[in-house]
Amino acid sequence: MTANRDIVPSRRRPRRQWIGLLYIAPAIALVVAFFAVPLVMTAWMSLHNWPLIGRRRWIGFGNYLTLWNDHGFWNALQFTVFYTIAATIGLLAVGLALALFVERPRPGVNLYRTAFFLPVVVGFASASLLWAWLSNVDSGLFSPLAQLLGLTAAPYDLNADFTPAFWSVTLMVVWKMSGFYMVILMSGLQAVPADYHEAARIDGATWLQRFRYITLPLIRRPLALALILAVTGSMLAFDQFYIILAGGPQNQTVTAVYWIFNQSFVSFRLGYGAALSMVLLGILLILSLVQLRLLRSGEDGR
Amino acid sequence: MSYATLFGGLFLAAAAVTSQAGAETISLWARSDDSTFMPKLVDAFNKSHETRVELQIVPVNELVQKYAIASAGGSAPDALSLDLIYTPAFASSGQLEDLTDLAKSLPYFSSLSPAHLSVGTFEGKIYGMPFSADASVLLWNKDLFKKAGLDPEKGPTTWAEIRADAEKVRALGADTYGYYFSGNCGGCNIFTFTPLIWASGGDIFSDGGKKATLDTPQMRDAIAFYQGMVKDRFVPAGARTDTGTNFFAAFATGKIGITPSGSFAIGALNGQYPNLHYGVTYLPGKTGGTSSFAGGDNFVVSKGTKKLGAIKEFLEYAYSLEGQTLLARNGSLPVRGDIAKQALADLDARYLIAADAMAKGRTPYSVVFNDLINSANGPWNTTLSKVLFADAGAIEPSLKEGDAAMQSIIDAAR
Repeated sequence: MTANRDIVPSRRRPRRQWIGLLYIAPAIALVVAFFAVPLVMTAWMSLHNWPLIGRRRWIGFGNYLTLWNDHGFWNALQFTVFYTIAATIGLLAVGLALALFVERPRPGVNLYRTAFFLPVVVGFASASLLWAWLSNVDSGLFSPLAQLLGLTAAPYDLNADFTPAFWSVTLMVVWKMSGFYMVILMSGLQAVPADYHEAARIDGATWLQRFRYITLPLIRRPLALALILAVTGSMLAFDQFYIILAGGPQNQTVTAVYWIFNQSFVSFRLGYGAALSMVLLGILLILSLVQLRLLRSGEDGR
Repeated sequence: MSYATLFGGLFLAAAAVTSQAGAETISLWARSDDSTFMPKLVDAFNKSHETRVELQIVPVNELVQKYAIASAGGSAPDALSLDLIYTPAFASSGQLEDLTDLAKSLPYFSSLSPAHLSVGTFEGKIYGMPFSADASVLLWNKDLFKKAGLDPEKGPTTWAEIRADAEKVRALGADTYGYYFSGNCGGCNIFTFTPLIWASGGDIFSDGGKKATLDTPQMRDAIAFYQGMVKDRFVPAGARTDTGTNFFAAFATGKIGITPSGSFAIGALNGQYPNLHYGVTYLPGKTGGTSSFAGGDNFVVSKGTKKLGAIKEFLEYAYSLEGQTLLARNGSLPVRGDIAKQALADLDARYLIAADAMAKGRTPYSVVFNDLINSANGPWNTTLSKVLFADAGAIEPSLKEGDAAMQSIIDAAR
């Protein structure tokens, strides 16, 4: 790379750079318009007492001080982390299992791939509404089904207590999203050369050994991508808890984004909502950096 | 398209504009809940007046946000028909025009709905004028009452009677229930549960909304009353997590004996479920007495508008017998007490009970109503959804906790 650059006549470089800039200009414009500008505006808003209706007032870091003592937000964040761990493990485990199942061509495999991927194209709101209806104790399907199977005598309201409600929603998310992770991991699996496995098989390695020592290390990159996407997505969870549980029972399933939504559009405190958003963004950045660092250190040590 | 047609079109458009130049046009926004009566009222007004009203219906959950954004951008509508409960919050933010003089110049001012005016008033000035009305009432299913051996023409008048009737209806069969309420819906329960407390002499706020008073003997009794019906399974299991989806739908299935609801249900049941025979009565207190939540819309005007004359013209039309009758025929109760009976004359007699409930109705006053009451995660809903499905021992600590949570929100907003 370095050698190559030396060969290029130096006077031609500036022009090439300008052309390069031109090529990426649309991308830069998009990032500036839809990320940088809103981000700066959010930061600006977060320094104000900015009601939805009425006059705004500069309060410096006042919102951030309030936030420090806002138990509601920290509780919501704690719940979000708990949910993220549960959902990420579920998504990656099921996604990987599905990927292993549909990786190699065989009769009917396209049907399976399509079937597993299909829920991904359903909108989150639609899937949540569907689930809300299915889990309704009076008009839904789950409770009568449980009664029919003899699991419960009286009608069982899945959404009345935290534990069943939480796992029911997490299950919905895994059902809906694992097809997406299946696709990412499947492309990784298909890139693993078949002769590695063949060689290992000749040496007498079991399926588990081959999975552990060949497959897993070689799909590290797609796995890391899947991990970051799953963690980020779950940390930003909102729709499913809003639509199916309305944050209940007893506000135990209010996520961080849900709390921000409530502050901004129920309590009409836009400035405070902006401050919360900035903090959540910071937390997500740190989480992603840590994950990337872990991935890199793994590669160095190989 | 040829240039000739293009210019022809422009010419026509210009002509249309000039022909109206003499008349003023006011822009009016209304929430989607008003979509039955509002367009009809506006059409009738436009047909008979020089002044034009341009109506825009906004989805109910987006109205406040949309208005706020328009207001910040200087493009707020001249007037807005607003869920009356938001009037204190809007008025306190300084976005509304003082309508005190306009209101007091109306000869029938003293007959306008007192509940609407009480939430429409902020620091002694009137910012919200009564526009549409919806009162909470109690509905009972006459067919089920008959089957259960009860008098189908007599609705319950005390809590004990509600309980006794609900028990008899429940005894009819496995999927027939005595009573229904939406257990996880703050908006539904402020509308239908607080009147039980008001009718018994209690209240959830005191001192003009500055103090939360959940923990009162009346509230404890009302909760015990509901708890008892939940425990004895007079209420279907789904009530516990119902966020309001089945608030109306449950009774409409014909499998519920009694439910608290609103006057809006009369029109909806008559229109969509003509074979369901039901009665309408007042929400009672523990041992008698009645009360109601006076809901509906207040009419507010964006600050700085120069069209107060035209706005007054529209309001006067809405308050006329013609306007009030039009409203009543399309799902809103009249807001003018002196002509309410006339406006309702040709209608289902059950509306008269609702109108009477409305006249005596109350509306809680709070600048943070949305945080306290309507939010699914606010203290009102959190407290009720917990305690109504718990046991008697939970009542006192839950109410104390609820009071503290409410008070901290009220204090933070001051």
